[in-house]
Amino acid sequence: MNKIAGTLAMLSILVSSTSAYAIECNNTVWNKIQANGKIVVGVKADTKPWGYRSSDGKLIGMEIDLAQEVADTLGVELELVAVQSSNRMQFLEVGKIDLMIATMSDRLDRRKIVGVVGPNYYSSGTNIMAPKALKITSWNDLNGKPVCGKQGTFYNKIIEERYGADVIAFGGNAEAKQALRDKKCIAWVYDDSVIAGDLLSGNFDDYEMPLASEDDNPWGIAVPIEERNCVFGRFISGMQFNWHQTGDLIKLEEKWGIQSTAYLATQKDQFADWLSE
Amino acid sequence: MKRLNSNQNHGKLPVLLSVKGNGSHAYNSMTMVNWLASMPWWTPVLLMTALILWPHVAWAGSNYTAGDALDALWRWAPFLIKSGFLFNILISFLVLAVGTVGGVLLGLGQISLSKPVRAVSWFITQLFRNSPWLVILFVVMLLVPYEIKLFGYNFFFPDWMKAVFGLSLPIIANISEIVRGAVQSVPNTQWEAAEAMAFTRNQTLWKIILPQCFKRMIPPWMNWYAILTMATPLISILGVEEIVNLSRQAIEAEDNHPELLIPFYSFVLILFFAYCYPIARLTVRLERKFAVKL
Repeated sequence: MNKIAGTLAMLSILVSSTSAYAIECNNTVWNKIQANGKIVVGVKADTKPWGYRSSDGKLIGMEIDLAQEVADTLGVELELVAVQSSNRMQFLEVGKIDLMIATMSDRLDRRKIVGVVGPNYYSSGTNIMAPKALKITSWNDLNGKPVCGKQGTFYNKIIEERYGADVIAFGGNAEAKQALRDKKCIAWVYDDSVIAGDLLSGNFDDYEMPLASEDDNPWGIAVPIEERNCVFGRFISGMQFNWHQTGDLIKLEEKWGIQSTAYLATQKDQFADWLSE
Repeated sequence: MKRLNSNQNHGKLPVLLSVKGNGSHAYNSMTMVNWLASMPWWTPVLLMTALILWPHVAWAGSNYTAGDALDALWRWAPFLIKSGFLFNILISFLVLAVGTVGGVLLGLGQISLSKPVRAVSWFITQLFRNSPWLVILFVVMLLVPYEIKLFGYNFFFPDWMKAVFGLSLPIIANISEIVRGAVQSVPNTQWEAAEAMAFTRNQTLWKIILPQCFKRMIPPWMNWYAILTMATPLISILGVEEIVNLSRQAIEAEDNHPELLIPFYSFVLILFFAYCYPIARLTVRLERKFAVKL
């Protein structure tokens, strides 16, 4: 049954994308950007190092760098709007932002609302940080146990359903990590690259990331859905393709101190220029 | 409710005392400011000191010290005050403005001569006085769309505007009670005398009754201002970028060290205390001053 539903959903996506081809492109947002000489990009303000604030309140991070490069390539000014997981798609729908680069996992249901264009610029998996003393060896060890997490991540529900964990979701990761230290939960579930960074910091020496990452999910940059197969969507696709081919994404990963992901390396190989060297 | 002025009334003839109109109770709910004003001013300083010393004991194992956390707070404080706390204060002023205008109208509705108006005003007042603020905020958030098309124009309702509207509803209801209570606390003889001198009802209300109410409404009105100011961090749950949300973003930017939680949130506590405490002291003083003077 699920398979049929999935196939139908895939088909409807295919149909909608082909029909979008057929209808004429208005390029409204694209033209607006050119006319105003300004692109409004929605980025995160609470997700270091992708999008966060410096102490003077300015938005900085890896995704802000990407947004800047989009603006520079277009030759327009960049305006940043801080978005949250709960409102980022709505902001794009109603035109409050022109483009969204906001750590959004590329999921089927989201593609029906916003125009996610490939190739995906990043990917992250789910893992846990747990005290070494607990000797957790498999995801099934979480069954029936309290696990701390952050509100709004899509895998909270998944690990509850798949492994029977009781997720206690906090507003921020600081609160979640404090709860882990206070032994209110046996593990903290989050993106694997962030956990790896914390383990390297030396502040969590009694903790480990014992499991194999799961649900590796590519992230998507989104344009308004009407422009997915028009100039704007194609342009953003081109930007992402180029970032992969030149290895810019890997450089940015290093610049922002993110644990290097296998995804970016394989993408770089895949998109490598066959004539180079 | 404890009457602060009870001591001053000894030896006065009963006819000189304020009369509770129509047998219903005059509205007086000053618990919050009385409680706040009764604290010595150094309470939060003491709390902060105690809390800062605490993590030294608890997490000696981590490389990140309470000193690092205070450094981080020092770096972020200007931004948190300028973009965060001042925004909370702005929100509180807006809510107070909307709440006062709406509350006066609704309060006058509660003492209207028309029964349906009275009933509806009473119902709205009771509904919003007795609902949890957070629930009201959630309902407003979900009910009001982000964008409304009217006369060919698009009107945007950003989150902060919805939050002002949502916080205003309980304030409207409580100020409505203040107005009703104040009007009904004016002795009936004032109405009768005005009627005998051929004043219309509107003239009586605006020229005779309300001017007498004004002074006695100020303390409870300030009381509600203090309460609503302390309630503004509620809107952080709705994603408005006010001080609690910005503190959270600051903690994120400082790598989410759990050691940051106590200094940052205590800092927010001290800001609110420093702002609300003088208001509470002043309110209590004004209440004593304005009590029973007709």
